[in-house]
Amino acid sequence: MIDFISNRRIFFIISIVVIAAGLLAAIINGFQWDIQFEGGTILSIVMPDDTFEPNDIESRLRDEFNKSIVAQKAQTYNPDDEAGSINLLTLRVSKNETLTDAELNKAYEILRTEFNVSENAESQVQSVEPFIGVEMRNKAILAIIISLLLITVYVWLRYSKINGLAAAVFAIVALIHDVLVMIGVYALFKIPINESFVAAILTIIGYSVNDTIIIYDRIRENSGKKYKGDLKELANKSLNQSLSRSINTSLTTIMCVTVVYVFAAINNIASLKEFTLPLIIGLISGTYSTLFTAIPLWHMWQERKAYKTAKSKA
Amino acid sequence: MSRSYIWKFCAILLIIGLFCYLALAGLSALGIKGVNEMRTGIDIRGGISTTLYPDTDDLNSITTQQLESAVTIIENRLNGKGVYDMNIAPDSENKRIVVEIPYTAGQDTNPQKVIDELGKTAYLTFQEVDEELFEGYMDATNTRKKYLPTGKIVVQGTEIADAQIGAVEGRPVVTLDMTSEGAQKFAEATARMRQQKIAIFLDDVLITAPEVNDTITDGQAYITGSFDAKGAADLAATIRSGALPFKLIPKEINSITPTLGESALKISIQAGIIAFILIFLFMTIYYRLPGLMAAIALLFLVTSLLVVMATAGITLTLPGIAGIILTMGMGVDANVIINERIKEELTAGKTLKASIEGGFKRAFTSFSDGNVTTLITAVVLYVMGTGVIKGFAVTLTYGIVLSFISSVVMSKALIVNVSKMKFSKDRRLYGAAKEVLE
Repeated sequence: MIDFISNRRIFFIISIVVIAAGLLAAIINGFQWDIQFEGGTILSIVMPDDTFEPNDIESRLRDEFNKSIVAQKAQTYNPDDEAGSINLLTLRVSKNETLTDAELNKAYEILRTEFNVSENAESQVQSVEPFIGVEMRNKAILAIIISLLLITVYVWLRYSKINGLAAAVFAIVALIHDVLVMIGVYALFKIPINESFVAAILTIIGYSVNDTIIIYDRIRENSGKKYKGDLKELANKSLNQSLSRSINTSLTTIMCVTVVYVFAAINNIASLKEFTLPLIIGLISGTYSTLFTAIPLWHMWQERKAYKTAKSKA
Repeated sequence: MSRSYIWKFCAILLIIGLFCYLALAGLSALGIKGVNEMRTGIDIRGGISTTLYPDTDDLNSITTQQLESAVTIIENRLNGKGVYDMNIAPDSENKRIVVEIPYTAGQDTNPQKVIDELGKTAYLTFQEVDEELFEGYMDATNTRKKYLPTGKIVVQGTEIADAQIGAVEGRPVVTLDMTSEGAQKFAEATARMRQQKIAIFLDDVLITAPEVNDTITDGQAYITGSFDAKGAADLAATIRSGALPFKLIPKEINSITPTLGESALKISIQAGIIAFILIFLFMTIYYRLPGLMAAIALLFLVTSLLVVMATAGITLTLPGIAGIILTMGMGVDANVIINERIKEELTAGKTLKASIEGGFKRAFTSFSDGNVTTLITAVVLYVMGTGVIKGFAVTLTYGIVLSFISSVVMSKALIVNVSKMKFSKDRRLYGAAKEVLE
């Protein structure tokens, strides 16, 4: 049997170190707001081969539009030709600027006439005005906060028997733990923060609280039995009984997401890669925070409460 | 003793087999659709999504009615171009219109062109010209002046009843049929302006400026210009669908090429299959007989999810596929809880029957609690998210409901019935020791 409660300090320190590292990365790297949340324009266009020089294109277009344009080379999997891949040029305008319709058309023209891009080359465009980006960002943050509040209320009501409000608060502490870890991952790997980020965070919130609740459920079941009075034994026993479940469920879920990540990484599908990597870390963090953060904190709280009650009686 | 459990077991296998078949092939007689008929989002099949904003400083002056008529006009314009599969939604609160056009074969690969056409007001006017007011020439020989609008309007777009494509002297033209009011004005003007020119503008851009040769009383006119047959058809469709009450500017554009979307789809499907096989193996090896049953029930979860999504016409997006794969991983969660519990109860010395019942009973509450929280986040995602994320939320919600059926109903029926069979009395098949340890 693992003694989660006595060793809690070590586990808390591990959590704090990981979160601090992530926040440090956030301070150093900053966040890579995707144009969805910041405004900007991204244009990807299929190039005839990979001999083009992004720097040339970049300086040409910068001179033309007088806007900070970044050009990059990218390659992706070609579904029509297993052996070959598609060469892409990605143009990015951000920092509160977008390319207007007319400028985009001009950019197409320049690429065609000067950089050998074929007349009907496939292209994709994403363009968001800065004010919409800010609106979307606020909406995303609001979505996360609303979810957290609703979950708190639910856990509070459902687990009144084992001090629901404390249980809810510590489940939320565990959630915030996971969200912070994930934010660190976004900063560390410079993953653009966009709608997928919101989906990933909310998925982990749902998952992590689920994970915590299952142990609360076990505590609730055990609390009526022989462990009454011995809070440490109750918490430890409940954690250990649920341990293989916690690990196995995480394992099957992480397995699934990792497979998607590996496939996306091999074939360089950025959108899927950027969605699944934070999910993997979030799943690990979610399991960890349940076992090593939420329940030990709940236990500390209950002990303190029991101690106070005993003192006031004496 | 009756052997009904064998039949029950086979019946459930048959149901799951049926769903596998439906997922692959569908059943058109009942309107059930298979995977191949699934609607895919523009992030997979390619296409354009854009948000159009009215080009005005006073957003408050725009009414819901105006927005709705703008939606109808855009719809007509797209229909006129042969685009029928689209999604146009007015957002009257924020005074904007969200347009989604999936890619169809033969469509222009330059998204910019398509979007440019959408927001044009298409305000058609016939105006008197001022021979001094022009800006260069329309041809090389400098005979056709490029007139600028004078504001002296003879006939306008609202007075055009119909516009069709026609041919005059082998050249494509747009024929116009005016309303009686328009015809009257036009007759009056053509009588007055003989040997003068009438300029036809679309959004202040000169299309053509023919000379009036005769009084036209029947309200019939045609426009020639530097366009080919397709251009004429487009122009006719634009005029026919009417003018927008205001100009719309795309401030958010997202276009995806079909090729890139398709490659992401293929990869996701491959990943999904591998993930399924891994879970199947893991559950069977770790939890043995009940694990195998859970894995079979998982097959039901995945196939029924696909059938439901295809039949309900839910658009499959890439995050949606990620949602399905995630549902797979989390879908066996209930079975993990149940199987752990069965093992525990068996080890505690209970009979096989009592252990299985105990396992399902206890697992039910924690399972339902856990899923309510996931449901909460899914609903929030759906309400607050936009297009692609909505797809993810919907998938997640269906996944939760169906995983409830698969792990509580299906896998229970499978495990209960299989445990009655002769070969399955061995406690080791459930992960417990052969004999009860005292």
